[in-house]
Amino acid sequence: MRHSAERIRTRLLLGIALACLLPGSGSAQNDDAGWDDEGWGDDPWAEDQTGWQWYGFIEGAVAPRLQSDPATDEDFTLAETRLQLEGERQLGDYTATVKGDVWLDGVEDGGRGDLREANLAGRLTASTDVVVGRQIITWGTGDLVFLNDLFPKDYAAFFSGRSDEYLKAPTDALKLSWFGPLNVDVVWMPRAVPNRFITGERLSYFSPRAGRRVAAPPRLDPRDRDSPGDDSELALRVYQTLDGVELAGYAYHGFDNQPSAQDADGRAYFPRLSSLGASVRAPVAGGIANLETAYYHGEDDRGDDPDRPNDQWRWLAGYENEPVSDLTIGWQYSLEWMQDHDALLDALSPEQRRYAPDQYRHLLTNRLTWQGPRQDLTLSMFTFYSPSDADYYLRPRARYRFSDRLSGTLGANLFGGEDDWTFHTQLEDNSNAYLRLRYSF
Amino acid sequence: MTPTLRLALVLAAGLLAGATQAQMTDATAIVEAANQASYYAGDDGRSAARMMIVDGNGNRQRRQFTLLRQDVEDGGEQRYLVVFSRPADIRGTVFRVEKHVGERDDRWLYLPALDLVKRIAAGDKRTSFVGSHFYYEDISGRGVSEDRHTLVETTDEAYLIESTPRDPDAVEFARYRTRINRDTLLPMRTEYERADGEVYRRMEVTEVETIDGYPTGTETRMTDLDSGGYTVTQFRYSEYDIGIPADIFSERSLRNPPRDWLRRD
Repeated sequence: MRHSAERIRTRLLLGIALACLLPGSGSAQNDDAGWDDEGWGDDPWAEDQTGWQWYGFIEGAVAPRLQSDPATDEDFTLAETRLQLEGERQLGDYTATVKGDVWLDGVEDGGRGDLREANLAGRLTASTDVVVGRQIITWGTGDLVFLNDLFPKDYAAFFSGRSDEYLKAPTDALKLSWFGPLNVDVVWMPRAVPNRFITGERLSYFSPRAGRRVAAPPRLDPRDRDSPGDDSELALRVYQTLDGVELAGYAYHGFDNQPSAQDADGRAYFPRLSSLGASVRAPVAGGIANLETAYYHGEDDRGDDPDRPNDQWRWLAGYENEPVSDLTIGWQYSLEWMQDHDALLDALSPEQRRYAPDQYRHLLTNRLTWQGPRQDLTLSMFTFYSPSDADYYLRPRARYRFSDRLSGTLGANLFGGEDDWTFHTQLEDNSNAYLRLRYSF
Repeated sequence: MTPTLRLALVLAAGLLAGATQAQMTDATAIVEAANQASYYAGDDGRSAARMMIVDGNGNRQRRQFTLLRQDVEDGGEQRYLVVFSRPADIRGTVFRVEKHVGERDDRWLYLPALDLVKRIAAGDKRTSFVGSHFYYEDISGRGVSEDRHTLVETTDEAYLIESTPRDPDAVEFARYRTRINRDTLLPMRTEYERADGEVYRRMEVTEVETIDGYPTGTETRMTDLDSGGYTVTQFRYSEYDIGIPADIFSERSLRNPPRDWLRRD
């Protein structure tokens, strides 16, 4: 088993080398050829396009763990060669988009695939846009901190060393947007789409039940929420910009994206979740300030059932500016305030009480980004630090664009803290450094 | 001097000289007119643009985008929408700017892979525009009142203006000299100098066409004389006064680019 995993890794490294050496053939875009009067046809709206336009990339990525993980004998959180293809086609006023990934996975040992987008988007009326099908949806003002954005995330990808874009997981939805004195987005998801949460397969996590960090097997396997209609979710955003100040209100009625509850048989499931929230974002003193809040109404609104999540009030405040040319600094403070904390503690057994979340979880984040004068080199550092959990998560990264086609990213995901069971510390043994090389076409 | 009197004098001077164009003598008025000709032609406009970025080692990169512009007032506030189609890793990225005069611009960036509308802190305008040798300020214009302008020379073809920054700490140059064509009022060459007089950065307009009655620089080259790198920007399919509605410059257009307005006629 170990032997075949080694073979796969060898292949992956070959894949990375191949990605670097690929010639510019079979591609609609050449780096410097086409600097004549032919090349102007590339804009999708240049003329009426017929047929599919194809784009994509090949990426090789490896992320060795920086320490051994007693919960698993897997030394890598990521080892893969990936192909993404994206097709786009104009159909009258509508655009059809298909985007899919296939990859050879050296951690899960085998071929994998993921359909990330398959949708039809366009103008329904002069003041209404529609997107129907599989899509990525994002809203809210946080930077890697989400309050009112309850669309699915892929934390396994984010923590294991994949590119940032994989943090957002696709959802099957109908999105209607109406533009008027107030702009309104309504998103209906016929079946609940949960996060791609940590199951133990790629990353280990802390199990309060086991009282230690665990990894698959067995894989965390919650009850599905996939019956169309019964398990549908609805998300709403109302927003407008007034004199540079962006105001928004949000509502959500669906399910928690994390399997945060347990039924009587001890099986995890996705409990009901409704939320209401608001945000404001505006320029302040040369930078951008944002404030966002969300009230989460969980299944247990009295707090005395430890197997189901309690209500929470969340807050986020942020500020970003560019104090020196090409250097951007962003700060965020977020608060998760559990509403019936005393009741939760009373309901827990003494041995489980130590694992209970705090009444107030404080989280500070900092993002530093520096771009070289030609923007070829980007250095960044994103820090999560929770004074209440006494844990941290660091994301240092260097990205270099060798050309319009080839870019390389070197970075790390570093977790640590005091207590094994807090959000970031539980991932400690998954700390990894990664290298990705991407060839775009 | 009242504008009417000044105009009368200018006209009289022109008639006396037998010249076909008026001769302007006030440096700031010339720079304002040049700013108007370069950045405010018509009430709005659309153009396809592409850049070839060549670094000092000869490595080439490409950018291609369509630009929509609307003037809120001539010489004042403007709205921009820039939709990228090349290279592959920034295709679908949309950049929106509300340009203000005398205060910081509002800027938004849409990243399609994340469906993310990011608001960007309005930072230094003299940093690279999408990795090219052009600065943001070269694309959308530098406030006329940010520098002191002197008319150095007037030839048959051009005005030569020297400009020095009112706030020298805010910029990397000590002064710049601009050669402004007297017919079109387009700045045809700008050279940025260090304090010792060394020219380190040069902008040249290498192609001009009159489109919808407006002389338009359709090819511009920016050279970094220190590294030898340069960027050539070409504009094609430019049109003016096409009647773009104000609400095109909104979040809606970031997520769903306005094809009807981006399409070339």
